[in-house]
Amino acid sequence: MSRRMAVIALALLVSVSWAGAQSKAWEILREIVLVPGVSGHEGPVSDFIQGRLPAGVKAGRDAMHNIWFTVGSGRPHILFVAHSDELGWTVDKVTPEGRVRVKPGGGILPQTVEARPILIHTAKGAVPGIVAPRPGYDERPSQGEAQEAPFTAESFDIFLGVGTEAEARALGVAEGDPVTAKKTFTDFAPGLMATRAVDDRAGCAALLDAALRLKPGAVKGRTVTFAWDVQEETGLFGAAELAKTLKPDYVFAIDTFVSTDSPLESKRFGFLPVGQGAVVRAIDSSNITPKTEILKVLAIAKKRGIPVQVGNSRGGNDGSVFLAGGAVDVPLSWPGAYAHSLIEKIDRRDLEALTDLILAIAADWK
Amino acid sequence: MSHRAQRTGGLVAAAVCVLAAAAGAADLKAITKELFAVPSTTGNEGPLAAKIRGLLPKDLAVEADGLGTIAVRAGGTAGPTLILAALDGYGHMVSGITPEGALTLDRPVAPPHARFDAFLLGQPVVIWTAKGPVQGVVSQPAMHLLTPERRKTLVEGFSLEIAYVDIGVRSEKEARAKGVELLDAVTYPAVWTELAGDHWAGPGLGLKAAAAGLVGVASALSGRSGADGAVVCWAAQTKFAARGRGARPAVGAVRAKTRWQPSRTIVVDVVAADKGEGSPATGRGPVLIVAKDGPAALRQAVEAAAAAAGASLQILTAPDSPLALPFAAAPAEVVTLALPVRFLNTPSEVVAVKDLEALQKVLDRFLRPGGAK
Repeated sequence: MSRRMAVIALALLVSVSWAGAQSKAWEILREIVLVPGVSGHEGPVSDFIQGRLPAGVKAGRDAMHNIWFTVGSGRPHILFVAHSDELGWTVDKVTPEGRVRVKPGGGILPQTVEARPILIHTAKGAVPGIVAPRPGYDERPSQGEAQEAPFTAESFDIFLGVGTEAEARALGVAEGDPVTAKKTFTDFAPGLMATRAVDDRAGCAALLDAALRLKPGAVKGRTVTFAWDVQEETGLFGAAELAKTLKPDYVFAIDTFVSTDSPLESKRFGFLPVGQGAVVRAIDSSNITPKTEILKVLAIAKKRGIPVQVGNSRGGNDGSVFLAGGAVDVPLSWPGAYAHSLIEKIDRRDLEALTDLILAIAADWK
Repeated sequence: MSHRAQRTGGLVAAAVCVLAAAAGAADLKAITKELFAVPSTTGNEGPLAAKIRGLLPKDLAVEADGLGTIAVRAGGTAGPTLILAALDGYGHMVSGITPEGALTLDRPVAPPHARFDAFLLGQPVVIWTAKGPVQGVVSQPAMHLLTPERRKTLVEGFSLEIAYVDIGVRSEKEARAKGVELLDAVTYPAVWTELAGDHWAGPGLGLKAAAAGLVGVASALSGRSGADGAVVCWAAQTKFAARGRGARPAVGAVRAKTRWQPSRTIVVDVVAADKGEGSPATGRGPVLIVAKDGPAALRQAVEAAAAAAGASLQILTAPDSPLALPFAAAPAEVVTLALPVRFLNTPSEVVAVKDLEALQKVLDRFLRPGGAK
C-alpha cells in the first residue's frame, strides 16, 4: 500500500470511528422543510422526526409535542436541542365572502407574502389560497392622500377561490388552522439552496442526522440528550417545558446564525460567509457564551478537521432557557442569510459540518 | 327510431359532448400550463413564440414580422379579420453585475403600476440566460436586524435601486460563468396554484391563459376554409408604447395594423377584475370592452357569437387601450375581448377556468364560416 493510500485509509478509519454513515442531513432537510409545523401546531413535524429516530431508542414526547431521547450516563449531561416549529399564522376568522383573516404575528415580513400563495393546513388537508394584494395596489395615490397604512398580517385577506363562508368551510377551513407560505426551493447550485423554514428545520435535520450516525459506544462517561422542542418562535415555550425536567450541565442549542452575508446588509457584524463552516454563536440577543467554552468547541473541531466560524449576531436561542437551571449555553449554528424569510439560504457544507460538530461534541466534550 | 333509441342516442350524444368539453378543458389547461412555464417579457418573446409555434397544427403556415410577432392565417376572401393577443408580459431584466456577483435589475418597459417592483422583495426569481435558467433570490434584510430606520428604507422604500439578485456566487466572473449577461429576462418562477372553484393562479398567468385560448382558436382553423380571411396573431412588444404625439399605441399593435390592414380587429387582452362595484368579475364570462356604447357591427357580431356559443359576456365601456388604438380609425372596427383577471399584474394573477373556456368558445364561434356576420 502506498503511503498516500495508507493516509487515506487511516483518515477513513478515524472518521468512521466516531461517526457512522455518510451524512444525510441535506436530504433530511429538503424533506422536513415541507412538513408543516407552525408554532403550536408541530404535531406533523414531530411525527416526522419521531418516525425517523434510530431504531431502539426510547423517545419521550409530551403533550406539547416536544421530543427527546437520552443515551449514556454520568456527567456532564449534555443537551442538544433544535426547535421544530416554523413561522406562520393561524386562521382568525372566515368572512361572509369566504375570505380568510389571520391572527397578528408571523415573524415574516408581511410584504413578502402579499399577492403570494399560502397553504391553510386544515383537518381535511392543505387548502391553497392567495394573500390578496393591498386594496388599490395598482392605483396611483392621489396628491394629498393620507399616507398608506402599513401592510401587516392583520391586512391579510386570503382568497381561496370561493365566494361564501359556507364554501370556505366546506373546504375544511376553520378558526385556529395553521397557515404557511407555499414553499419552493431555489437551487443556486448543488448543495446551495434557499427556501422557507430552514430556521430551524436545518437544526432539526442536523440533530436527526447526528442521532442516526451516532455510533453505539461513542458516548462514554457522559449523558447526551437529543431534543426537538416546540414553540421557540413564539417565546421558547417548548424549551421552558423541557427545562422543568431536563437539568443539563451544557446545552447546545442548534439554530440559525443570522448572517449578514447578503448584498443588502451591513457587514459591521454578523458577517460569517455562507459555505465556510458551522458556527459557534458567541453572543446573540439571549446569551453570551463563555470564551472558555468557545475555545473548547474550536479545539474539538480542529482535532476533527471540522470548519467552524465564530460570530456575534442577533436573535435568541432555546438554550438560554436552561441558564437559570445552571446550564452553560453554547449555541451552534450554520451561517444563514435572509433569516425569517421565504428565501432562507443554506449551504450543504455548513450543515454537514454542523452535524459533524454535534457528533464530535457528543463524543469528546468534557 | 324508437323513442327509447332516440333517448339513448341523445344521452350518448350528450355524454360525447360532456367528454369533449372535458377533453377541451384538459387541453386548455395543458396548453396554459405549457405557456405558463415559458418566460416572455417585452423584447424577450422568442421562447414563447417558439412554444406557440410548436403547439399549432403543422398545416398552419406561421407568419412572423421580424420583431417577434407571429400569426397564422385562415383562407378566405372577405378581407382580414385580425384576432390579436399579446405575446409579452411585464417583467424585469439584468441591468448589471456587481463585483461581488449580485445582479441589478431594470425593466424593459414602464411598470403597470407603482407597486410592481415592490413585489420583488425577498422573492425567488429566475434569470433566463442563453445557457439556461439560473435560479436566484432578491435579497431582503434579515428580520432580526431590522431597525425602524432600516425597515423604512429597505422594506417600505424598496425599489429597483436596492434590488439585488443573489445567485449564489461571489464574483462577476462566477456570475458570467453561469451564463448571466446583461438584458437577460428576470421573472418569478412559474409556480402554479390551483384554487377552489376552478381558479388557477400564478405570475403572468392572465397573459399566458389568453394566449393559450388563442392557440385553441387557431388550431381550430386548421383545414378550415372560408373563415373570413382571419389572421390570429400573438404580438410582441405590446407593452412598449410607440413614440409620438398624443395617444401612445403599443408598438406591436401598430406593426400588426401595418402588416395585415384589418378591417375588423378583436384584441384579446386581460382586464383587472373583482375590484369592487362596477368592476368586471371573474367567473362571469369574458369582458367585451368597447370605446363607446351603442350598436356597432363588430360588437353585435361578437355578441351574436357569444349567444350562439352559450357564453355570457360582461360589457365595459372604456377608452381604447394602447393595444386597440391603432385599429380604431373608421371605417375599421375594433373591440377588445378581455379575460377578467383578479390581482392583475401581481405575482399571483387569478383566472377562472370558465372565463377562459368561454373566451375560446366565443372566438371559435366568431371565426366559423358565417359566424362573424
